[in-house]
Amino acid sequence: MMTNTSHCLLKTVSTLLISLCISACGSSDYAANSDIDLNKSFASEAGGSLINAMTGEPSGLISMIAGESASSAISSNIFNSLLKYDKNLELEGDLVERWQISADQKTIVFTLKPNLKWADNKPLTSADVLFTWQAVTDEKTASPYASDFQLVKKAEAPDPLTFKVTYAEAYAPALDSWAGLQILPKHLLQGQDLHTTAFARKPVGSHYYKLDSWAHGENLKLSRNPNSVLGQAKIEQLISRIIPDNSAQFLELMADNIDYMGLDPIKYSRIIPARPELQQKLALYKELGNSYTYMGFNLKHKPFDDKRVRLAINYAIDKQEIIDGVYLGLGINIASPYKPGTRWSNPALQPYPYDPAKARALLKEAGFADNDGDGILERDGKPFAFEIVTNQNKEREKSAVLIQRRLKEVGIDVKIRAIEWASFISRFIKTGDFDVVVLGWGLGLDPDQYNIWHSSQQAPGQFNFIGYNNPTIDKLLEQGRVELNPDKRMKIYHEFARVLLEDSPIVYLSAGYGLTAIHKRVKGIDDPAPPAGIGHNSHEWYIPQPLRRNEINQ
Amino acid sequence: MHKSLFKKALSNPLAYAGFIIISLIFLLAMLAPLISPYDPNEINVKAILLSPSLQHWMGTDGLGRDVLSRMLHGGRVSLLVGLVAVGISTLIGIILGAIAGFYRGWVDVFIMRLVDVMLSIPSFFLILAVIAFLTPSIINIMIVIGLTSWMGVTRLVRAEFLSLCDREYILASRTLGAKDVRLIFRHLLPNSLTPIIVSAVLGVAGAVLMESGLSFLGLGVQAPQASWGNILTDGKEYIQFAWWLSLFPGLAILITVLGYNLLGEGLRDALDPRSGSQR
Repeated sequence: MMTNTSHCLLKTVSTLLISLCISACGSSDYAANSDIDLNKSFASEAGGSLINAMTGEPSGLISMIAGESASSAISSNIFNSLLKYDKNLELEGDLVERWQISADQKTIVFTLKPNLKWADNKPLTSADVLFTWQAVTDEKTASPYASDFQLVKKAEAPDPLTFKVTYAEAYAPALDSWAGLQILPKHLLQGQDLHTTAFARKPVGSHYYKLDSWAHGENLKLSRNPNSVLGQAKIEQLISRIIPDNSAQFLELMADNIDYMGLDPIKYSRIIPARPELQQKLALYKELGNSYTYMGFNLKHKPFDDKRVRLAINYAIDKQEIIDGVYLGLGINIASPYKPGTRWSNPALQPYPYDPAKARALLKEAGFADNDGDGILERDGKPFAFEIVTNQNKEREKSAVLIQRRLKEVGIDVKIRAIEWASFISRFIKTGDFDVVVLGWGLGLDPDQYNIWHSSQQAPGQFNFIGYNNPTIDKLLEQGRVELNPDKRMKIYHEFARVLLEDSPIVYLSAGYGLTAIHKRVKGIDDPAPPAGIGHNSHEWYIPQPLRRNEINQ
Repeated sequence: MHKSLFKKALSNPLAYAGFIIISLIFLLAMLAPLISPYDPNEINVKAILLSPSLQHWMGTDGLGRDVLSRMLHGGRVSLLVGLVAVGISTLIGIILGAIAGFYRGWVDVFIMRLVDVMLSIPSFFLILAVIAFLTPSIINIMIVIGLTSWMGVTRLVRAEFLSLCDREYILASRTLGAKDVRLIFRHLLPNSLTPIIVSAVLGVAGAVLMESGLSFLGLGVQAPQASWGNILTDGKEYIQFAWWLSLFPGLAILITVLGYNLLGEGLRDALDPRSGSQR
């Protein structure tokens, strides 16, 4: 027994010593010389490595197949598209030098930059682009992005630098769709099944980085691509560690083991500011994301088919309280389904104010009254009660609790149900078996929202699951898709947002900020963030030599 | 007779300690509406995540609600779920166990195989699966926990009945023409009560843990109603900072489960003549 204990003790002590040694060996220069001022400015220089954390592991790195954020977060560093958005969200050439739209607006001719090369030194030509288009529209590929490209009637590559597409009719989101399609190498993928090819785990691209190693369940390591078509990035190595739990990611951030993570409002405005040692080493960034949170009614269920009821609920909810209480002020009260401040968001629209008296009046007008004096309104003897369903997202759950309280005040009895994401989608959204949901929409840069609001998009699995059916909206959406004049298009979407707000099929709760913490050793980050977000110039970020981690090169 | 047994049980210091703990927790839970300093669901967005202070003895949560008030009201939920769930499982266990032990034969074989099948499924996952099909609510939680945890009691009652059925006083009653119902309820059951009580008390501890686990996973008591499990979930994200959101409900669960276990073990020691550690 005794020997056992002392043995144990010895083991513990030696383990401790070893781990101390490891942590000492692994610590950064900056930790060893903690007198280096992280806020000092340093000259830009190449080298170093940036470590970030991701909650999910990509299923593969061909993003047209994976269709998930974990995959595109990595593949967007490896592959280019024909076009990209600059920091002000204007389109510019990525692989192409210029593009030309025909007078009838049905044909686009892209001219590639000369002398483009893949990471394996093979030339990148319009044949690769044509191959990529064929792959994405191939039925066997079954890409979730296929519908955008199936509208192309004819695609040609007449010479190595020219790629020409012809649409059956003018399609306004066309350029945006080409900015989202990552171009794949024909010489490595021709004749292969994109779903099973080893290329998905060993990709060869043309962008700033190439994949060095992929340790399953642990990390992905990227290093600079010497053939990068846009020149060289500053940081030598990008390491993405897979850490599924958010709290564990935050521990790693505090322990200096990752440089970069997304935050929730409480971490951003309460926890980090309260800890000087974190504030000293972490720079916080906030940028308005292209997404919003809303409460959506099932318009096929009574009484939500009654506009007065929807308006009453809109008036009864205090959105500012949600922004203050749930997002700690890090949100914006919106009145149109677009990012505030962009050209598509209609500046003339005002959100519905918090006005419980008006809500009560509207409910009374719709035939609701509290006849039995229990504080809950009834109509035709049935109490006004419903369930809010949401996924297990802390911000959404808290918003639902605040809504529940406000609606109780006007006499509506609300229950809340928070369910894990996958079963939430399959059980409630796809079946349409819900009264009210609290959810969010993440939007693309193009204003087209045909798949969310058009009455034709109501089949199970499609996005108009609230059952919205408004001929005016349908017509505006159809016009918006074929209108290529930006000013006319803007007017169409302003009108679309106005009709939508007036009809109130959903209650806009908030457009939230994307919150990020980045270690101060990383320099060259634009602050405040431009419209495209802080990541737009990540190739220009750099880590000055004195602030780098000590790395053991293998 | 049972009164004196109870007295005997409480002479065991562990059982006494358990009894005191459980009584205190019951008292606090029953008086919750009177002694809570705040409404447990009163949201105050200006007082989010305050650490414990004189105004808020156990701090506030992510929506500025008073944790002490939520703990007291959450205690009612935990205790209620524990008692009702165990009530249901004990009732089912007694009925099935009595039938199996008394009638034997194929009925016994059938019931015992059913018990084996139920026991072969890990109970937490069974409950998770059932809850996934129902709306999570206190009532459903109580019923589901009750319906999935009766197997132990069934085995216990059956074993008691099997051994008691051959006793002479039972044979005597039979010979005097006593009906089955009279035999079961007047003679067999009262004499099997001791192990049932012990197992029920220990069962409450299990049910309290189960409810906390389900609420922690978001499948138990739904917002805004408080339970110790869902206060713990709220605290998980901020465990390094808002320690009060994890510590207090964690301690409450620990103390309650400990209390029931002490009481149950103590009762067993005191009441079970076969238990070796009886003093």
